[in-house]
Amino acid sequence: MRVCKTITIPGNTSLTGLYAEKVGNYPKFFKMDTLSKLGFLATELLLEGEADRFISREDRAVLLFSRSGSVCDDSHFAKSMEDYPSPSLFVYTLPNIVAGEIAIRNNYRGETSAFVLEQYDKERIRHVVEEAFQDRTTRSAIVGWVDVRSDTDWTCEVSLIEK
Amino acid sequence: MEELIKELKTKVIDVLNLEGMTPEDIDDNAPIFGDQGLGLDSIDVLELLILLEKNYGIRLTSPMEGKEVFQSFAVIARYVAEHRTK
Repeated sequence: MRVCKTITIPGNTSLTGLYAEKVGNYPKFFKMDTLSKLGFLATELLLEGEADRFISREDRAVLLFSRSGSVCDDSHFAKSMEDYPSPSLFVYTLPNIVAGEIAIRNNYRGETSAFVLEQYDKERIRHVVEEAFQDRTTRSAIVGWVDVRSDTDWTCEVSLIEK
Repeated sequence: MEELIKELKTKVIDVLNLEGMTPEDIDDNAPIFGDQGLGLDSIDVLELLILLEKNYGIRLTSPMEGKEVFQSFAVIARYVAEHRTK
């Protein structure tokens, strides 16, 4: 396996500012929760300039890991239940939605997975990525630790890895 | 009616996070859904249903009713003016 490129988005970064500067043509971004915004933006930066971007492909997996899962959006949704439960918050109350958002944006039809670990575990992540490369299709993977503790406190490191 | 249309647009822009859009950007009679519309999805429809209930006391019960009401902001405003309870 070879790590081609890695992107880190530090906590407290203005995600809206980063979006405006680097992307700017995907209005759905504004509807995403912080976890999906981070995964989306990190991938945008990671794939910047890649040839044949957005052409449908099955050979790239999206494998994301975190400790906090979707707990940030879960708490926003729980708060909305005091008034009217918000459908747009509800749809992000799963930690794997971010992987789906990345796949939808990039037209990926390969494996998408999100794993919630007790803590950052480099060996376990490596094992999962190696497993993903065992099939006959997957040749590269977007692999990241995207852990959102609050809307301003997170760890986000996403890499493009080739078989 | 114009004031109600503007109020509705403002609330929709806010609740659906239509970033960078102002009420003036939206044609009163333009379709809300589809390629010519605001690009809203099925989750947005649920948010619109809640918006009507929460702000105007209007509860739409059938999908057909929603389809008729959510044609354009002019149509929504007419419906709200006729059916609002608050």
